[in-house]
Amino acid sequence: MKISYQWLNEWVDLSAVTGVKEGPVALAELLTARGLEVESIHKLAEGLDKVVTVRILERAKHPEADRLSICKVTTGIGELMEIVCGAQNMKAGDIVCLAQIGAVLPNGMKIEKSKIRGVVSNGMLCSETELGFKDQSDGILVMPENTPLGWKLADVLGLDDTVFEIKLTANRGDCLSHRGMAREIAAALSKPLKPPKVAPLDFKNSPIAIELEAGEDAPQFFGCYISNVKVGPSPKWLKQRLESIGQRSINNLVDVGNFLMFEYGFPVHIYDADKLEGGVIKVRRSKAGEKLLLLDGQTIETTGEELVIADGKKPVGLAGVMGGGNSEVSDSTKNVFLECAEFNPTLVRRAAFRFSRRSEASLRFEKGVDPAGHRDAIARLSDLVIKVASTDKSIAEMKGSTFKQLPSRASFKARQIQTTTDFIDGFLGTDIEAAKMVDIFKRLDCGVEISGNKLVVTSPTYRLDLNIREDLAEEVARTIGYDAIPTTIPVLTGMPSPKLGDTTAHRLKTIDRMKDAFAESGMNEIVAYSFQSEAWLKKFGFESSVKVLNPLSEEQAAMVPSLLPGLMGAYLENQRHHFGSSPLAVRLFEIRPVFEKVGDIKAAGASPLGGEMETGVRETWKISFLISGPRYDQAMKQDLGEVDFYDLKSVVEDVFESVGTKGVRMRAADSALLAGNGGTSNLAQLFHPGQTVQMTAGKEALGFFGRIHPKLEGELKLRNTVYWGELTLDPVIALTPQKEKSFKAWSPFPTMERDFALLVEQSVTSESLVQSALKHGKPIAKVVKIFDTYKGAHIPEGKISIGVRVIFSEETKSLEEKQVDQCSELIVKKWAEEFGATLR
Amino acid sequence: MNDIQSQIISRGQTTLADISKTNTLSDLEQIRVSVLGKKGTLSEALKTLGTVPAEERPKIGALANEWKAKIEGALETKKSELEAKEIEASLGKTKIDVSLPGRRPHMGALHPITQTIKKVSEVLGRIGFDVTVGPEAETDFLNFEAANIPKDHPARDMQDTFFLGPGVVLRSHTTAVQMRAMRGKTWPIRILCPGAVYRADNDATHSPMFHQIEGLWVDKKVSMSDLKGVLGFFAKELFGADAKIRLRPSYFAFVEPGAEVDVSCAICAGRNPKCSVCKGTGWLEILGAGMVHPRLFEYAGYKSDEISGFAFGMGVERIAMLLHDIPDLRLMFQGDQRFLKQLR
Repeated sequence: MKISYQWLNEWVDLSAVTGVKEGPVALAELLTARGLEVESIHKLAEGLDKVVTVRILERAKHPEADRLSICKVTTGIGELMEIVCGAQNMKAGDIVCLAQIGAVLPNGMKIEKSKIRGVVSNGMLCSETELGFKDQSDGILVMPENTPLGWKLADVLGLDDTVFEIKLTANRGDCLSHRGMAREIAAALSKPLKPPKVAPLDFKNSPIAIELEAGEDAPQFFGCYISNVKVGPSPKWLKQRLESIGQRSINNLVDVGNFLMFEYGFPVHIYDADKLEGGVIKVRRSKAGEKLLLLDGQTIETTGEELVIADGKKPVGLAGVMGGGNSEVSDSTKNVFLECAEFNPTLVRRAAFRFSRRSEASLRFEKGVDPAGHRDAIARLSDLVIKVASTDKSIAEMKGSTFKQLPSRASFKARQIQTTTDFIDGFLGTDIEAAKMVDIFKRLDCGVEISGNKLVVTSPTYRLDLNIREDLAEEVARTIGYDAIPTTIPVLTGMPSPKLGDTTAHRLKTIDRMKDAFAESGMNEIVAYSFQSEAWLKKFGFESSVKVLNPLSEEQAAMVPSLLPGLMGAYLENQRHHFGSSPLAVRLFEIRPVFEKVGDIKAAGASPLGGEMETGVRETWKISFLISGPRYDQAMKQDLGEVDFYDLKSVVEDVFESVGTKGVRMRAADSALLAGNGGTSNLAQLFHPGQTVQMTAGKEALGFFGRIHPKLEGELKLRNTVYWGELTLDPVIALTPQKEKSFKAWSPFPTMERDFALLVEQSVTSESLVQSALKHGKPIAKVVKIFDTYKGAHIPEGKISIGVRVIFSEETKSLEEKQVDQCSELIVKKWAEEFGATLR
Repeated sequence: MNDIQSQIISRGQTTLADISKTNTLSDLEQIRVSVLGKKGTLSEALKTLGTVPAEERPKIGALANEWKAKIEGALETKKSELEAKEIEASLGKTKIDVSLPGRRPHMGALHPITQTIKKVSEVLGRIGFDVTVGPEAETDFLNFEAANIPKDHPARDMQDTFFLGPGVVLRSHTTAVQMRAMRGKTWPIRILCPGAVYRADNDATHSPMFHQIEGLWVDKKVSMSDLKGVLGFFAKELFGADAKIRLRPSYFAFVEPGAEVDVSCAICAGRNPKCSVCKGTGWLEILGAGMVHPRLFEYAGYKSDEISGFAFGMGVERIAMLLHDIPDLRLMFQGDQRFLKQLR
């Protein structure tokens, strides 16, 4: 919202504001400190101090350039100046604006003495764009013939004002006007408000009657009939006020309505009274399907919910939002009817949203206007209309006025709030004298009664935000200044909550440790958007069951059912900006929720403790990870290598070991397993069926990881083979004990080792050999490791040689050679029986 | 002196001379074997000991041992000398270019968002806050109504919200987590709620998904001065011992009074009118705060006349951007490793 310093100064004496800093700057600080944040200060004359009015005496073509001309200009005294100009719309005799050498225009352009195609130009003739008046303009600005010469442009235009851009909070609808802002300033400075003198209307003889047909949704309506108006351009003062706050001047009547809104904060409407039929104006709910032509020339169809203004025959306005095109003021208007009414803020807001017509008026209705201020506002408006719509020959005249109020408004009482000085002090942590508190409330236009520490405060009718004792505490805090509140540290009552045994704390700690472990394995954490485009998800065979109903774009429309598409997006982002032939290592992980529809996605009513906690959306946290490219961050070519399945496997194993997860199993995931029940799963699209494992915990499937399916790799045009996977987080946390890890003693006696080179069918997994040896080698075969695999020369087709090392030990005594030999024999025998393994 | 004696002496002297001339360990070993070995010359010489009279044998034996020891000593000395030379020689051959880069495993990094949440949780954990979390898909009721923002309330404009279904939103702040926490247990409450939140906004300073940390402290006799104390402590811990805070009145529906909180600019301390960080104001807006609105206590099932509380909320990305001089919010969500690796 824009607020003019000069306009404010009419309402409250601002001379007291100026101190160390000049008035506008000091005022901005004062307002911000009171919660009325000044976002920017704009001096209207800024950038125009070296722009003066000059007359063009001669215009000649530039000898070297067809499109340029050389103008000889004068300020009326002194020498003529030569200016090179590229515009075509000026002629000798025109009065134009010259930016002199040294000017810095509002758009930042610096004017210097320069040679243009060999001719010296002593400044620049300005367009409205260059002067900051318009975003676009044709040619230079030509001033009216009666413009004085040699004046500063700012003085010619009366641009001596400063305008503030105020970022008003949603609760302070009462400050959406110059009067409202002035009230705050008056309270802060302990100065009186200087409202304009307005004669009250005596509400009689209105040729148009008012009917309230919407009950409490439109509880009051004030009208005033003025005849013999003359529609025309606004007087200079009115134009200047509106233009200073960025409003375009239209005509005297439209302008005066706007002026009242920006002055008093009351949105009003002015009808051409001769276009109102039936001698009546009413406010009612619309009927579904009514056609209403609006001021902007478009016709809307009402839904039956919004409030409309109607005359005896037809709707003539969308209440609180926009007037009707069938009753608007035109150049030929002679008689007008003024409206100042109250409408239900919610209905106005919904209507404004529904028809995409949020306006300055609807904004004010939404935030609520003073329910006791309409009488004043209509009187002020009527004064203003008579003032601006009269000419020397024809005087506008108030014919009559009228109003209707429901009992709720006729007997409206200002709100009383009870509290104590002790409450306010305790709540703020302050120690303020009672008399000072009383003074604060009085300055804020409140009624105050005090007895002992008890306070009864009557809030002004326009302060719709003052309702409870905490609101009063805020008014005190705002007035003394937040800086004046002391600084303390709150007392810790009771013991801090124990972390051990707290499942939330354990879960968060495990996530933290897991992230650390991934980072230690050289993985970079990403955060991808939880919404992606459906098309992108589809590339991976995913379909989102949870949609954003009002996405910013299709790119962000589907809540992700998996983190893998986002992870691949990040991979491609890295690939996209990787140039040259040096190898690209990408190592990413993400731990975040995915979204799934598990019921109706709608809240089951807002009743307390009812279904309001349920959303129908299940969030399942996933751990996802991806690696590709060289094995080292930095190494010579021969050492660099390229990651494969086993690199990813060790990352996963390291992470689980690091966080202490127990009982996670892996098994090879072939096509059938990946395809899931009845081939419904898209995992077969994502993973290579020969290089992927499923992770399980008991009967629960945690997820898969492995090599990307070559088909997908090709489709995505990946530079390197990607190894990736996704696991469900919470079952992993369930397998991660809260208990600290315990020390386990090792045998003090020496271990013995036996190495075996086994020849087996390629279908035999090394893990099954290990498990068999551990089982049959009990109790002395403690550790079984695979240390070598070999296929190729000397190995029959279809077979593989596997090197297995068994480490034997006993806790209580030294092993004997014989024991180990016997155990080894048994293991070898079982390998032969179970897997057809032979020793090489 | 008999033959054997002179033989021992002359062989011995020859051997010593040979040793001193030897240049390789293998030659040296050959000498050792040829002299001291089972069939070595010295051994061979001693084999003829039987031919000398018995009374001379001890003398000859002593002489032989003396020479044996001399030779062994010379061999040992020469051996270490040659070994040292050999190592010396190998050093040159195994010289490498130490200026080549090291063989470096990959080092990963936590996302700046995670790092910042950790940092803030640690700082506030010191004065008694516990971390708690909640769902990102929330009911309209918990996200808005229970935060004192009823339907059609103008405050909803501040938060353009994404809807997933009627009455179901992507939470626009983490305030619902506070409500869930209060409904789950009685006061005192001292919690931090970090997490992703969503608003329909997208440019260099707004992201449709971003992160917040909200804090809530509810107890008997909690005052606004306590809020100032906690935030002052927080600012000093995070931005340095010289950091100051400033509270300005503001409005958030779920608090009353409400405040915007600024921290003093650590870059220019307000001295540089052209400071690119604080734009010359000397202050940086870092969070919103206030005293918990009594309506929230009613929704939580608490008696609002027994207790009071304060709450504050900050944008995690905003804090991270200030701490690390990150110019563009969008970098946070692109997964670009050039960004991620810098801030580990």
